[in-house]
Amino acid sequence: MLKATLRSFLAHKGRLALSMLAVVLSVAFVAETLMFTDTIGSTFDRLFRSTSADVSVTAHNDVAGRNDQNFSGTVPTVPASLIPQVAHLPGVAAVNGRVSMAGIVLTDANNKSIGAIGGAPTIGINWSPGPNSPVDLTSGAAPTGDGQVVVDSDTVSKHHLVLGQPLRVIGATGGFPVRLTGIATFNTTNPGATLVFLDTGTAQRKLLGHEGVFTSVDLTAARGVTNEQLRDRVAPVVGSAYDVKTAEQTAKDAAQTLGAFLSVIKDALLGFAGIAVLVGVSLILNTFSMLVAQRTRELGLMRALGASREQVNRSVLVEAALLGLIGSTLGLLLGVGLALGLIKLIARGGMVLKGSQLAVHWPTIVAAYAVGVIVTTVSAYLPARRASRISPMAALREADTPGRGAPLRIRAVVGLVVLAVAAGLLVGAATDKDLGQAGILLGGGVLLSLIGLIIIGPLLATPVIKLVGGWFPRVFGPVGTLSQRNALRNPRRTSATASALMIGLALVASLSVVGSSMAASFDAQIDKTIGADLIVQNSTGLPFPNEVGDTVAATPGVGLVVRGQGTRGALVAADGTQQKTVVVGTSPGLDKMVRIEMRDGTVATGTAPGRALIGSHYADAHGLHLGSPVTILFQSGKSGTLTVGGIDVTDTNPGGLGDEPVIASSTLRQYVPGALDDIVFVNVAPGANKEQVKSALTTALAKDPQVQVRDQTDYKKLVRGQIDLLLNLVYGLLALAIIIAILGVVNTLALSVIERTREIGLLRAIGLARSQLRQMVRLEAVVIALFGAVLGLGLGLGWGLAAQRLLAAKGLQSLAVPWSTIIAVVVGAAVVGLLAALGPALRASRLDVLDAIAHE
Amino acid sequence: MAASGEPAARAVGLCKAYGSGDTAVLALDRVDVEIDAGRFTAIMGPSGSGKSTLMHCLAGLDKPTGGEVYVGDTELSRLGDKALTRLRRDRIGFVFQAFNLLPTLTAEENITLPGDIAGRRTDADWLRQVVETLNLGDRLRHRPHELSGGQQQRVAVARALAARPQLIFADEPTGNLDSRSGAEVLGFLRRSVDELGQTVVMVTHDPNAASFADLVLFLADGRIVDRLEGPTADAVLERMRRFDVRGGSQVAQPAPDAD
Repeated sequence: MLKATLRSFLAHKGRLALSMLAVVLSVAFVAETLMFTDTIGSTFDRLFRSTSADVSVTAHNDVAGRNDQNFSGTVPTVPASLIPQVAHLPGVAAVNGRVSMAGIVLTDANNKSIGAIGGAPTIGINWSPGPNSPVDLTSGAAPTGDGQVVVDSDTVSKHHLVLGQPLRVIGATGGFPVRLTGIATFNTTNPGATLVFLDTGTAQRKLLGHEGVFTSVDLTAARGVTNEQLRDRVAPVVGSAYDVKTAEQTAKDAAQTLGAFLSVIKDALLGFAGIAVLVGVSLILNTFSMLVAQRTRELGLMRALGASREQVNRSVLVEAALLGLIGSTLGLLLGVGLALGLIKLIARGGMVLKGSQLAVHWPTIVAAYAVGVIVTTVSAYLPARRASRISPMAALREADTPGRGAPLRIRAVVGLVVLAVAAGLLVGAATDKDLGQAGILLGGGVLLSLIGLIIIGPLLATPVIKLVGGWFPRVFGPVGTLSQRNALRNPRRTSATASALMIGLALVASLSVVGSSMAASFDAQIDKTIGADLIVQNSTGLPFPNEVGDTVAATPGVGLVVRGQGTRGALVAADGTQQKTVVVGTSPGLDKMVRIEMRDGTVATGTAPGRALIGSHYADAHGLHLGSPVTILFQSGKSGTLTVGGIDVTDTNPGGLGDEPVIASSTLRQYVPGALDDIVFVNVAPGANKEQVKSALTTALAKDPQVQVRDQTDYKKLVRGQIDLLLNLVYGLLALAIIIAILGVVNTLALSVIERTREIGLLRAIGLARSQLRQMVRLEAVVIALFGAVLGLGLGLGWGLAAQRLLAAKGLQSLAVPWSTIIAVVVGAAVVGLLAALGPALRASRLDVLDAIAHE
Repeated sequence: MAASGEPAARAVGLCKAYGSGDTAVLALDRVDVEIDAGRFTAIMGPSGSGKSTLMHCLAGLDKPTGGEVYVGDTELSRLGDKALTRLRRDRIGFVFQAFNLLPTLTAEENITLPGDIAGRRTDADWLRQVVETLNLGDRLRHRPHELSGGQQQRVAVARALAARPQLIFADEPTGNLDSRSGAEVLGFLRRSVDELGQTVVMVTHDPNAASFADLVLFLADGRIVDRLEGPTADAVLERMRRFDVRGGSQVAQPAPDAD
């Protein structure tokens, strides 16, 4: 029996090839995702291990959160006076004061930014190589004095920098000119950060604003002393105002922050891999169904010759397992190739990984084979069971009747019930107030509606195909009729083939609805809330030196200027409970720039010195009203009690004010002396031309390339661009599922052409030209693809609508249906059908008429 | 449509070889034949005699390796695939042994298919006449799998007639039918010649079927070895037996059954 199975496997290898390709692609995507994220993880692990000091001391600060340098204001520091206290401790081999500030800017002499790209940080560090330094000075000299920098070798070679070249560094206190004196090289892979080394005094003055402080004090353990022992000796000496961590803890903390981000990427990629697998399942299921149907006679003969049901069943399953095994192996290899390709690709986007350090862990291999073999075997199980149930006589009889299969009544009932439940869940999701619960309802609704539509697909095939292909006979004559009828001939098969396409297109449609609704909602939000003519902001949202605001105010044509600062802090209730928040500082005139809906008081009274503007939500929860005292804990660790001067209506829209307190900049700086601007609103002076002022500002701010001057239109464009980028990324990932779906159409057509060989012979004999025959196959493919597109778009629009209603409370208030995308999907589906039909159509038209007529 | 002096089709020195060189098998060996218009011609012969090949060459389904084939005035060997397809579509009708109809089309759609492919409207009066003659009036909206074997073959005959082709080729049209249905289909072919003036060429190995024809051509070893005008079943059977007796000298052993 095994021999017969192997023979049959080899005999059908052509027909199995496309199923195999589906397995290969699905497995490759899963494997690639795992290898890629593992590689990122291990690269950063190595980096963190190499950059972490044996033991490091940092300032303890509950409010600011350690190492959070993304908000402006005082960076938690350690005084230099701490160094002598720990230097003499037994087991300390070396002590280094470290200054490390992310969010600085490096430019060339023309004010062009030479920073890291793609979200990687530009970090300013004091040059103070310890014994285990992660970098070595590979050329030039270490920086001394205010005007010298050493830059990492990756950045130097990427931007073709040369020793002696004039550069500019922009830190918290502003920009200053420097000259490149040396090049430092990492001893591990640097994934993309730009490192700018300054001498210690310069780093302290320019990056931290004070001499005599560090961001951390790094200790090196002497031989024979473990990091833990050293930590335990240092901790009591420095006291509870400081955190003392071993290298392992530091690396773990860093990896945890990264890990959260990595697992988002991994989950998203695995989600798309899952979709590809799902589509692959439907393709494999369909292929095995067709193969078993075509082999009815062969299997019947085996049964007649005495093979048991189990043996027939097993023979199909073994065939599937073989397919899965070979497919998984090839998929794993392709996955390695894809992962290497992806590593190359993202290197161009700024994240540098080394292909030679590709992480292939055993769970990846296990997952690849599990997905490949299990998916294939499970997909083949149903057809195998059907095959074993064929009575030998029925199988041996010639069966030419089209549209075989049990009546679809049960299917209709089950499908409608599932769809009804799904619709209920989606409506529930759209109307539920609790966002978390609504999300679960949405997920359930999406899944169930997909399953329901797959179940009911064969019943929809006839009406939908009559609709989308109804004009074929009129336009294409009998060829149109034939292709439409062929597509309808086995509704199960047509529907299974189309459902693969449906899944991909439903996702495209729903995401495009959400995306364009997001853009439309954001537009409406900007129109509603922003009153400023121009806004100066860093594209990453990071703070910038206060000299930027000064420059803006000094530019001719500029009228009112309002400067805002965002700092970390907490609202402290009467019982001492803290609610972490952002404390916003503003100079007078905010109400002229942003429309804030007030409940009590005005924006001006709320942001007067010593007062606070708070949200209605927080005010109601804590019984606060105008004139009540409100206590705020600032990121500097100081806390202050202010008077409520205004209460605004808490707005949960993106960009709207939540419960963040807004206070006067002058008040904020009493508690957070170094607070930096992160936004500057500008109104043009009466009589001045907005465009002229904008270009004047752009020119004036040329030496600060990290900030941009934008008007409302620019903001809308920016957001649209970001949404489009994200959507394109998602469409790119969905392309894999769509490719597998195309393979499914190819497979169905190829097997149909084989099945209909005699018909094709007959058609050719009675005068159907080759070109007409090709057109017949093409039109059948187009109609199947359009069927999938119609179902997918219907499903996707439903999902998108439910998601938009669900997110309406979160600011997604405008529903926008991207008709251009919808039309593109329909046209794209037709093109997909044409492409899929190329091979099968050619094959059909090349059949020899006489052979075809005589075909069994 | 009535019989005239012009042959509907003819072959001159027609050769067909399969394979090449020493291993070549000659299926047709310099056959000269004329198919008279308006008559019912049967081609008989044992299995492997080349009768199907002859039909395929005359119908433009197969390419001869030598000689010339004419349908009317058109010489086929110089025609490409497109022209041959058009010729089959416009000038020839086919009835095969089995699988004559497209399962997705109704009987009526099958009947008008060649005309539809050509973009021609089938003459409604003519269609009605054909349908009436073949007694298919109440079956037109049925799909092939809802029809009996005999009905299916009648639909095939109707399709061949509907386009009013110059020639109808029938390849063992009754091979899959019981004798009553077979006689019915043959009777219709006969009537199409007598009443509608059709020209019909039928390949068969069944002496009974051949007895419906006006003329029987006997083929053996790729050559026409005999002809019989106004055949009866007995006369045909007698001729076939003579081949058996003479067997070996000129004629291969006839196989007991179809190709």
